[in-house]
Amino acid sequence: MNRKISFLTIVTLFLSVQANAQDWPVPADQNNRVNPQEYNLANVNKGKDLYLKNCKSCHGDPGKNNALPLVPPPVDVTSDKMQKNTEGGLYYKITNGRGAMPQFKTTISDDDRWKIVNYISNFSPKKQPLLVDAPPVKAKLLASVNERERKVEVFAESENNGIFTKLPNTPITVSTKKAFGNIEMGKVLTDENGRAEFVIPETVIGDEQGNVNIVVSLDDNYIADIVTLDKAKVGQLKPTPKLIQKGILWSTNENIQIWLLFSYIAAAGGAWLTIGYIVFQIAKIKRLSKE
Amino acid sequence: MDKIESAAESRKLLNKITFDLTRSIVKKDELTRFWFFILIMFAGVGLWGWTIQFSTGLGVTGMRDYVSWGMYIANFVFFVAVSLIGFLISSALHLLKINWAKPVSRVAEQVAIAAVALAGVIIIMDMGRPDRFLNIFLHGRFASPIIWDVTVITTYLVISLLLFYIPLIPDLALMRDRMGKELPKWQIKLYTVLALGWKGKAEQYKIIYHTLRILMLLIIPVGLSIHTVTSWLFAATLRPGWDTSILGPYFVAGAFVAGTAAVIVVMYIYRLRYNLKDYFQDLHFNYMGKLLVFVCLVYLYFNINEYLVPGYKMKLADGIHLTELFKGNHSGMFWIVQLTGLLLPIVLLLFPYFRKPLPIAIISLIVMISAWFKRYLIVIPTLEHPFLPVQNVPVNFQNYSPTSTEIMITIFSFVAAFLIISVLAKLFPVIAIWEYAEDQGIDKKYLTENLKN
Ligand code: HEC
Repeated sequence: MNRKISFLTIVTLFLSVQANAQDWPVPADQNNRVNPQEYNLANVNKGKDLYLKNCKSCHGDPGKNNALPLVPPPVDVTSDKMQKNTEGGLYYKITNGRGAMPQFKTTISDDDRWKIVNYISNFSPKKQPLLVDAPPVKAKLLASVNERERKVEVFAESENNGIFTKLPNTPITVSTKKAFGNIEMGKVLTDENGRAEFVIPETVIGDEQGNVNIVVSLDDNYIADIVTLDKAKVGQLKPTPKLIQKGILWSTNENIQIWLLFSYIAAAGGAWLTIGYIVFQIAKIKRLSKE
Repeated sequence: MDKIESAAESRKLLNKITFDLTRSIVKKDELTRFWFFILIMFAGVGLWGWTIQFSTGLGVTGMRDYVSWGMYIANFVFFVAVSLIGFLISSALHLLKINWAKPVSRVAEQVAIAAVALAGVIIIMDMGRPDRFLNIFLHGRFASPIIWDVTVITTYLVISLLLFYIPLIPDLALMRDRMGKELPKWQIKLYTVLALGWKGKAEQYKIIYHTLRILMLLIIPVGLSIHTVTSWLFAATLRPGWDTSILGPYFVAGAFVAGTAAVIVVMYIYRLRYNLKDYFQDLHFNYMGKLLVFVCLVYLYFNINEYLVPGYKMKLADGIHLTELFKGNHSGMFWIVQLTGLLLPIVLLLFPYFRKPLPIAIISLIVMISAWFKRYLIVIPTLEHPFLPVQNVPVNFQNYSPTSTEIMITIFSFVAAFLIISVLAKLFPVIAIWEYAEDQGIDKKYLTENLKN
């Protein structure tokens, strides 16, 4: 790991001679681009996931100034230098990279790059932060499946000393329960009434009868019981692999290949018919002796 | 050979030949009794071991989850291998009109019958529940190599018995007619029944030649199948060391080595014990020696293929297997076997001196023992290294070593095979008298001359 870092440092040193270390110009038309992804909690959260996966290794945790010591340095997300960028500017820099800062044009989709921009904006002084390290809120989830319309209908409320208030604009995760854990089908935001509808994708695979166990949950900011909806008939039938198939050598007698059975019977039958003929000849020797 | 014209000379020679070749049957001395006593005693011990295994279960053997084919299966493969010699000598060499092999062919058939019969018995002894052997016939699947193996072994046993019996008929008649005084009544009675009232008619001889010819042709595919199918029991599974396409011919070539050696040993014992120097001559040992070199060279060729090709690539599992053989746990046995079972006979038997009866008999004995261990090396190391790692099992699951019960039962199979050969030699001439007499120029009519009835 250390060797990797020092290697990066050398590369960075070398490249920084050519690139103007202080100033990273962004073309004007790029600079003024508007973020097509809405600034909301879901998008910011998605951006956070992406940041943790792709950027944290160099840029460190936001606000902690623990970035890698590269030259020029990868700046902290909360720093002025980072926040001075327009959203279009951030997008341009993430997309194209420079020096030790890799390009993400080919590795992260356009939408996702914009969502990372949303996440960076969360720390902007001009924006109201959506990610707050507030203590988790007690909440309650109600959910049901509409098998005909293939929908999961959710109602979310927060609870405060026995008083329930509906939870608007809250991300709900809908997953299917599998043998070794849950697989996320998707996320949906509640409307102003705390209600949400999630359309189950056609591609979901259920058990042999097409039954799916659906799990509905809130994110880490809430303390709520997970709702499990058992045996909703909304999935495709699980393809049952036939362990004993035709055409497999180690198979049952009913499934034996004709050519194999034929070869066996022909070979064994041929040999034993000949043996029978020989025995017949031996009997003839005996007959001849009596004449 | 020229025909002997004078009747008196013919009779005299025939009498001598008959006397020589029935010596094994007539002779009754301490040594014979001792030999049978030893054999029956050891067989008894082996059967006792088997009752232990039968009542306690296969847990008394060294076989566990991973190595589930142990000494028994190695032994089985050895016996199947040895039995193949019947096919080589009494069919292949005959059809190629190689005349010197004629007196050897009955010995080869004896060995083949004993070996293939025991091969079947060994399989049953390898089963924890021998009664379930019947399931093969009740619920067998035609797609399973095990069914093919059972079929082909039974077929081969029957053909070998016929190949032994049919050329015996004129001899049985001869003994029925001439040996009345020397042998007990039941024995003569047995010959009378088996001789089918043989009168030595031309049509009868014609049937004998005709059926023998058919059997010799039939035994070629059956003989090749018996060992090829046995090799498929291994080659049809996905295992390092077995998963190769040359396993069939590899087994067949190895079988010829083991079988030729076995026949040489038995020949030597007969020559010594029954005073048959004029019948199993130095010439026969000389030729058998050359045959052994030849089959060893073929086997060497397959060995090089078997080890060089995977050894060149050293694919993961094959690599582990080969390392184990070449310099791991089994390397000692491996190199000794390759040396004494292959290189030694090839090199030594090139010198005429070593093709003399005694030296070649000793060499053959060593080759046979090596051949047995070679089968051990084919079966066990592969099973000790499955594709998935062996984990969380007791130590005795990881490596196989046979228990004393297992060895007892394995020894039984050898003893039983000797017993079969000994009984056959005690009851029937070890060389076909009529064939030999005819080769010496004696007319067939003298054979049935002094018919009693
Ligand atoms: C290999 C380490 C590395 C990784 C991974 C990395 N960066 Fe950078 N980043 C840098 C470096 C070094 C700079 C400074 C480049 C320069 O100024 O020439 C930089 C600069 C930036 C800048 C420009 C800051 C300014 O000066 O205006 C932004 C924005 C940025 N990174 C965002 C990201 C994002 C978002 C990710 C993840 C998708 C990411 N970086 C991943 C090393 C990295």
